[in-house]
Amino acid sequence: MSAADPGLQPERTALAWRRTLLALAVAALVSVRVLPPVLGGWTAATGLAGVLVAGVLWAAAARRSRRSAAAFPHDRGAMPGGALLAATALLTAGGAVLGLLRLVVLLLR
Amino acid sequence: MQPRSRFPKAVYGVGEEPDPRFTLANERTFLAWIRTSLALIAGGVAIDAVALPLSGPVRIATSAVLLLLGLALPVLAWWSWAATERALRLGRPLPGSVVTLPLAVGVGVVGLLVAVGVLTR
Repeated sequence: MSAADPGLQPERTALAWRRTLLALAVAALVSVRVLPPVLGGWTAATGLAGVLVAGVLWAAAARRSRRSAAAFPHDRGAMPGGALLAATALLTAGGAVLGLLRLVVLLLR
Repeated sequence: MQPRSRFPKAVYGVGEEPDPRFTLANERTFLAWIRTSLALIAGGVAIDAVALPLSGPVRIATSAVLLLLGLALPVLAWWSWAATERALRLGRPLPGSVVTLPLAVGVGVVGLLVAVGVLTR
């Protein structure tokens, strides 16, 4: 059993994941309102898909946090890898792309 | 028993397991950049989704800079995380921050644009 970490690192990291994925979910939800007037109805679907993906990532982050907490601080090899980070970065970049698309379409009008 | 292979190999295929405190700190840094990126994207969209007292071309330019930053940041954040995790595993000095300069320049430019936009309204 690992000793309690005075720095509370696993707990802080778990909270950071939750804050981040919550912000992502809210952004995706807002995109359902903001994108369709400019880009069309299909962007309501992408927004809802974004919320769903954020939900999936949330569940994955919860698993990750449990695994980190169990591995921390002695079972170093059991610490999780970078796949969830890559997925999060992709989802965020996707939001930026849609925002840029919206700007371009507005310019072309 | 097969050892777990973690993504990406460029990070986990080298070196040794670092102190997990540093790994978690690295992870939280990445997440902070993602949240920053979301704020920039929201700002970029809000600039013209909300009626603001800025002149037209300036509004577009500001929106574009913010959104381009919002696009670049997740990519830079991922690269930065991977480079740092590698350095931790190899016991090498941590790479300098790639994210800070573009962000500082971009936000500075946006500030200037908004000032110009308000003055030339």
